[in-house]
This record gives sequence, C-alpha cells and structure tokens, in this order.
Amino acid sequence: MGTLNPTRRVAYLAGLYLLAIVLGVGSAWLWLTRIGISGVDAGAWRVNLLAGSRDADAYTRARIALGAVLALDRSETLYYTTDHDDTGAPLRAECRYRIEGSPPPARWWSLTAYAADHFLFPNDAKRYSVSGESVTLDSAGRFRATIGPTSEGSQNDRSWIPTTGEGGMRLTLRLYGADEAVQRAPESLATPSIQRVGACS
Amino acid sequence: MNLKRLHWRRHLIIASAVVALVHGLTIWAVPRLIMDRIIALGSTDSTLERTNGVTLPPPTDHTQRRIVMPSPDLLYATCFFDLNEQPLRVTLSTNYPRYWSIALYSSSSDNFFVVNDRSAPDGHVDLTVVAPRHQAVTSTLQNGESRVVVAPTHRGMLLMRLLVNDDPGVRAAAELARRSLRCSR
Repeated sequence: MGTLNPTRRVAYLAGLYLLAIVLGVGSAWLWLTRIGISGVDAGAWRVNLLAGSRDADAYTRARIALGAVLALDRSETLYYTTDHDDTGAPLRAECRYRIEGSPPPARWWSLTAYAADHFLFPNDAKRYSVSGESVTLDSAGRFRATIGPTSEGSQNDRSWIPTTGEGGMRLTLRLYGADEAVQRAPESLATPSIQRVGACS
Repeated sequence: MNLKRLHWRRHLIIASAVVALVHGLTIWAVPRLIMDRIIALGSTDSTLERTNGVTLPPPTDHTQRRIVMPSPDLLYATCFFDLNEQPLRVTLSTNYPRYWSIALYSSSSDNFFVVNDRSAPDGHVDLTVVAPRHQAVTSTLQNGESRVVVAPTHRGMLLMRLLVNDDPGVRAAAELARRSLRCSR
C-alpha cells in the first residue's frame, strides 16, 4: 500500500465504492426475486396479509410491486398464490394439473394461471381463469378444474385453463369479499388441491 | 505504513455502509419506480381510449403486458393524478349489479382508499382527493356532498374494477358503468 501512487489509489477507491454500489443493488435484487414472499400458508398456497396495505414493510411493498402491483388490501381481496403442487414440485406450463376443492367462502372467487413472467398464457379462446361462475359443482358441492396444455375433457371445457410453452407457472386464487372468518384467519381456508396428472408434454 | 492500513480499513467500513445504504435505497425505490412507470405509460399511451379524464383500457387478455398479473375477470378504468396544483374530483353514478370497486393508490403503491358496490349501495360516488398538505381544509369540505380523501402522496392513480364474464350483456353493462366514472380538477 505504501508504494501506491495517487492515481492508482484513486482508481482502487473508485473500484471499491463501485463494488459497494453493485453489491447493494445486487443484494436487494436477489432478496426481492429469489426469496419467496412472506405470508401464511394454506395447503400449497401462500397468502400475504399485507398486500396493498399501508402497513406493509418496505420489503413486502417492493415484492408486491414487482409481482402483483396494485393489489387490494385483504378487507377487499385475498390473493392466494403458489408456484408448486401439493407434493412441492414446481408447477410447469408443459404439465397438466387437476385442481379440486370446495368453492371458497367469498362473494366471488377466481383461479388464474400465469406464466413465469407473471403474464397470462396466450390462447385463442382467451380462457385464462376459472371462477365460481364457470365451474360445475358435483353432488358433494366440490369443483374440479384442469390447467395444462390439454384438457381432461373436451376442448370447450369451461373448467380448463390452457397453458402454452415450457417453463414455470404461478396460480393465483382471488377471493373478493371473503367471509370475515377467512379475512381474520386466511390460513384457515380449505384451499384447492393441486395434483399433476399424467406425464408432461 | 500503519496509518495507510488504517486508512484502507476506514474505507472498507465506509464501503460496507454504502452497501447497506444502497440496498435499503433500492428496496425503497422499487415500488416508486414501478408506479412512476405505470403512471407515465398510462398517461402517455396514445392507443388507450380516454374520456372524462378516465383512461379506458381494452378488456384484459394475454396481449396486455403493462401490469403484471392482470385479472382476466375484470374490466378496468384508471385515472392518474398529481395533486400539487389542485384536488381531484371523482364521481360515479351506476346501477351495475355486479361487483365493482374504486381503489386509490399512492406513488409508493399503497392502496389508501377503496369504495365498492357494497359500501356505496346506491351506486353513487363523489370524492375529492386532496394532497397531504391540504388536510387542514378537509373539515370544511367534509360538510359538502363530496367525501374528502387525503392522499399520502401528491402523485398516484385510481383503479376501477368491474367484475365481468363472457356474457355480452354483462360486458355492455360494465362498459356503460365505467364510462360513468369522471375524474376532473
């Protein structure tokens, strides 16, 4: 160190502080994109209790802004999301999944599939979600939906969400006007099961 | 020599503080930058229809790539505001029979106000959104017909959501409802 000339010394210091800035931005980005969103779990699903709320901490606010900006707070809407099935395996767009469960206690609910980039899967039928209006309930009052490149029934199956391409997938279950008991304890919701069916294409 | 070592140690400590500071600033800035981008794009996109100060995006499908995780079951309407000069007046009069809501967001992405078809069962909304510094005048405005909402930041946006389905009649009614929204100065 003692032999450094002033020019080299300035260069080393500039490099050190540039590295510090890169590390600061990089660590924040990794934190926001690699660490899962905080919240409570209900089955394979996770719900963040502070989405859209003014009480959200800075990390939650930043993560929500990146992955679900313009969310409503939980008194209005609860958002359950997942990127894995019931076995913990990551959801894949090239695989077919069967979703089964009881209609959530809410004024209205829907289940939407998003590609890894958090946008809707392209499909000519413009079918991106299933909801309480589109599913048929069986004699036990339960619904079944399919998400994947092919339907379990006909191509016009209203309870099928077509996926395209390969890669990760995220599901969002929206509950608008959820019953108060679910608002108070979102982890108590009996969330739909997610099971992979057959081999992936 | 010892003095020079101390000097470098000091720079390492300062650099560590810079890492922490930049990390925190990045976390703080991300939602604000994203909201800035949404407001800028929404305010200037010439392909979007605008009427009565309201932007009317087309029905949501896979070609919509402005905002992540859009809901395909909703029809939207938006207003963008800057309260530095004047408050924003928001009015709506609708008999849309399904779920709808009007939510206000700050420039840091917080949802600071929401009204929906249940909290306004007559379908009538009249809001005056004022800047934080105008909080003192709210007592006088509250006596009027318009409900005063104090925004936590000067800039922000309004997002109206209307629940729709594939029924053309429902879609037409939702279209009519969102066209009754007005955002004015």
